[in-house]
Amino acid sequence: MKLEFEVNGERRELEVDPLRRLLDVLRDDLGLTGTKEGCGEGECGACTVLVDGVAVNSCLVPACQTAGARVETIESRDFESVGQAFLDEGGAQCGICTPGMIVMTRAWLEECARNGAKPDESGARGALAGNLCRCTGYGAILRSALCARVAAKSAARPAEASKGSQSLRSVLEALKSADESTRVIAGGTDLMVELRTGRTRASRVIDIRGLAELRGVRAESDGLRIGALECCADLRRSTVVRERFDVLARACAEVGAEQIQARATLGGNLGTASPAADLTPVLLALDARVRLVSLDGARELALDEFLIGYRRTARRPDELIESIWLPWPAPGTRCAFRKVGTRRAQSISKLVVALSVRLESNVVREVRASAGAVAPRTIRLRALERELNQREPSRELCRRAARAAALEDATPIDDVRSSASYRRHALARTLETLLLELTGIEACPS
Amino acid sequence: MQRSVGGKLARPDGPDKVSGRALYVADLREPGAWVGGVVRASLPRGVVRNFEFDAGFDFTRVVLAGPADVPGANVVSMILEDQPLLAAQQFEHFAEPLLLVAAPDEPTLKAALAAIRPVLAPLEPVLDPRASERVFKRITISKGDALAELARAAIVLDNEYETASQEQMYIETQGVLAYPPDERGVVTVHGSLQCPYYVQKALMRALALTPERVRVIQAATGGGFGGKEDYPSILAAHAAVLARKCGRPVRMVHERHEDLLATPKRHPSIVRHRTAVASDGRLLAQHIEVLFDGGAYTTLSPVVLSRGCIHAAGPYKCEHVLIEGRAVATNHVPYGAFRGFGAPQTCFAVERQMDAIAARLGLHPLELRRRNMLRAGDSTATGQVLRTSVGAEPVMERIVASTRFDEHDWRAPRTGRVRRGRGFSFFFHGAGFTGAGEAMLKARIAVELTREGLALVRTASTEFGQGTLTMFKAIASDALGASPQDVELAPADTFEAPNSGPTVASRTCMIVGGLLARSCRELAQRIGGEGEFRARAKAFVARGGDARIEATYHSPAGLEWDDERYRGDAYPAYGWAADVAEVEVDLDTFEVRVTKLTSAVDCGKAIQPQMVVGQFEGGTLQAVGFAHLEVVTSRDGRVQQDRMATCIIPTTLDAPQFETELVEVPFEHGPFGAKGIGEMPMDGGAPAVLSAIEDALGVHVTRTPATAEHLMELWLAAHPQERL
Repeated sequence: MKLEFEVNGERRELEVDPLRRLLDVLRDDLGLTGTKEGCGEGECGACTVLVDGVAVNSCLVPACQTAGARVETIESRDFESVGQAFLDEGGAQCGICTPGMIVMTRAWLEECARNGAKPDESGARGALAGNLCRCTGYGAILRSALCARVAAKSAARPAEASKGSQSLRSVLEALKSADESTRVIAGGTDLMVELRTGRTRASRVIDIRGLAELRGVRAESDGLRIGALECCADLRRSTVVRERFDVLARACAEVGAEQIQARATLGGNLGTASPAADLTPVLLALDARVRLVSLDGARELALDEFLIGYRRTARRPDELIESIWLPWPAPGTRCAFRKVGTRRAQSISKLVVALSVRLESNVVREVRASAGAVAPRTIRLRALERELNQREPSRELCRRAARAAALEDATPIDDVRSSASYRRHALARTLETLLLELTGIEACPS
Repeated sequence: MQRSVGGKLARPDGPDKVSGRALYVADLREPGAWVGGVVRASLPRGVVRNFEFDAGFDFTRVVLAGPADVPGANVVSMILEDQPLLAAQQFEHFAEPLLLVAAPDEPTLKAALAAIRPVLAPLEPVLDPRASERVFKRITISKGDALAELARAAIVLDNEYETASQEQMYIETQGVLAYPPDERGVVTVHGSLQCPYYVQKALMRALALTPERVRVIQAATGGGFGGKEDYPSILAAHAAVLARKCGRPVRMVHERHEDLLATPKRHPSIVRHRTAVASDGRLLAQHIEVLFDGGAYTTLSPVVLSRGCIHAAGPYKCEHVLIEGRAVATNHVPYGAFRGFGAPQTCFAVERQMDAIAARLGLHPLELRRRNMLRAGDSTATGQVLRTSVGAEPVMERIVASTRFDEHDWRAPRTGRVRRGRGFSFFFHGAGFTGAGEAMLKARIAVELTREGLALVRTASTEFGQGTLTMFKAIASDALGASPQDVELAPADTFEAPNSGPTVASRTCMIVGGLLARSCRELAQRIGGEGEFRARAKAFVARGGDARIEATYHSPAGLEWDDERYRGDAYPAYGWAADVAEVEVDLDTFEVRVTKLTSAVDCGKAIQPQMVVGQFEGGTLQAVGFAHLEVVTSRDGRVQQDRMATCIIPTTLDAPQFETELVEVPFEHGPFGAKGIGEMPMDGGAPAVLSAIEDALGVHVTRTPATAEHLMELWLAAHPQERL
């Protein structure tokens, strides 16, 4: 395809493969080698660049999704003042993570400035959690980030819909002839890695990122409709999500790190159907429904029906996940979410749990519990629900219910991240603690 | 006059690094370069029968190189030459190179690699180091009669400690760009590397060339931590063989996946301590058995074992010590250099053992260390009498003053779901090569004055993040009485700089920097006069003064080392340090959060304090990762964590608050009193963190990484009623 976009303030035009990584376009086609590759799978952040003002891992962005975009790389003079702070505070040692760190730092400081937030160390740690450094121990980097000064810039994100003449209908028509090896790409955080490593072979890849119809968060009378292309970063910042589904906002904040959250979509998280998906447990606990569209029309499934097995869903090859619907929680409903990862950010889950409990006159009237990474798919914890439902919570009951989930619902395995026995034990303990908090038996520590 | 040392100079390599202009291997423009790749064994041990070439791929598009294409000896020249560059028949590990491929571009290379299938006959591998009968190196250090003392002692603690492997995880993967011989027959290789002269030596052997024909140039290097000490020799030779065969430059930059599978990592260790103690905590005898898994070939294992054994008794006084070390062969991918070089493994064991002794005797762990720590006049396990620059006491005083750890009720019963704990470690680390290493190496540097009156410093010491260039600049300018702008640094290029030795072993500052300081002072004397340096130097050159010094390192007088008996002065000087770690452990999930890490560090003299702190904190975070978070395991000889997503290192949110306090106990033979700093932080972090975990949970943790899974098992063993 012919790619036209703006790089560091200059219009560029070149012929590229639509799935070529933005990283390769910048480095090999445009000679902008300041952007580094450390892992090729969105883990290290060395390839961070700004696309329309948003920090992303350029190794996960296909060229086709940058058409018309404004890309900024370390070579732009707009990074000089942040770079100077890194020189002053010793934030650059071997220098390989430095361009990505500087780009991410500017994005974070600009966001702070836009929101009128004062940059502080904990904010810097959160913002830079997707940028790995092996030299500094991060102390000097955090000091550099806090010393840097940037001017507030308005969020310069053009309407995504303007980015292509794509219509839902044309995508659905393309999907009509889709087969099992046709892949849909949205944020690309999974698929770009899968394709590059050869773990997934695609006969055809259909880009849906430009579909305006799959965007937006709409409050409806009986619930909230979230477009499948909404990304984690948007959801965690969305006012209505934070006010009514805080647990979802918090789960979104634990998906990868900033650069991943800026790209990873809700629909992608559901569609990939990884058993360790971070968002699925929360959505199950919130009683989500998934709306699928095709040329034959639309249908809506309960999320529990949509997930049918290990990385398998009820979506037909000709269907697209259009949106997710969440019913407004009944008054008195309390929710909880807990992710246990291999580390505190940018990690694949060893265990994820989510709970939604409604008490009435101190009796559990409604409970939905779910867990990820303890079975081939994200599961509802029916045994726990059975133990709790219509009962008056007590310490003993919470413990019994949590154990029931671990012993009856969960079928965990040993893998490279954890062990079956750990998962089972931690599941029971985590659920028990969350239940005690949700039912008011123990105060929530936060 | 002293202006730069102890101050804060701008990093010479800084501006290019923060602007994206620094050129790493992958960034070097060379439009005609092909890319190289490796066909690897993919079984832990076996014999290569032949190769099947997929008829669907047109092999005329690529160039293949096998063992017969190696013009010199088909060996990787390191300490020994037991490792082939390309296995001709039998192979000994999963990632062993069998065949090389060069292609015009990445997609063609990938297609070619996919179209080649080695036909292998498997042989039974040895994967358990305890079961290995092949020993690369055996070391015995004996002082007094430890076995007799142990036999008669009333209190003996017998414990075994284990550390797993660890990945260096430099963020820039290994890479080289090799050129075919030019019209004068010179082969040039640019690489991401720590030791240009090691690579040169390997290339000379593999290509059968003299040193004048092998030029190795360090490119900007994105981290090393030991990982780019030995492996670049292999990669450079591979690329050079391919470049020679296809007659054009060949670039080989590993993808992360290949880097994780094929490159050397930290030696796994099993260390058994039998310690006799008096009831007041005095160490009466130590018998320490050290076992390192060396992997498939010798590589650097003998010297890793050496450093490990010398540090195994810890910074403690004991009259009866027996240390018996073995590095053995297995069919794992060869283990290699990683910051600390054997010492983190043995320091971990001795520090955990000290905690076990404290718990057994009901003594405070800090008090136990204080009673036993080495002081000036005491002798180490090798019988080295510490005469000078012994930082133990000042370091201990400083860590107590800043943490009050002496008042902490270690292992007191704790309650609550989130258990907090604090732990302590005390450690020392020898700077420079072990024993007679520096005397044999005879490091060289040169300093010369240019016509403009600048001092040009030529060393082969490399910058890969530690601050080598800045440190040299500070030392040279102060020793010359010049300003930092008057000092220029020649590139680390075997055609431009004499052999200063490898950039390893905490030796760059103390050894090479010391040589530099001496040379610069001598040059300053020659120049003489007063006033601005550049004008004086310019005049000196103009009047035909001898404007060049080439200096060779000689060990300070009085250092003696007996390599046969492993007795004597193992290192010219030691750095000393103590860590206090603070942790929180969640009893639901056994996730460990290291919240704070305070260190007191004696490095002699901090040439650039900001960089010393940066080095120390960076090393400590690696040690924190080693302690509880970084997992590297092998199954059937293959590393299981083969992606960055699974081979994890700490993020900003996993890093503690650091507080690093510098204590300066100068060493008279170091430049401005400086010793080494690079490796030392790696020694103390893990035992301090595990000590804190033990404090929080009340269970003795004896292995790294102390993962949540492992801690859960330990906890449930101690609290069986909590099992599901």
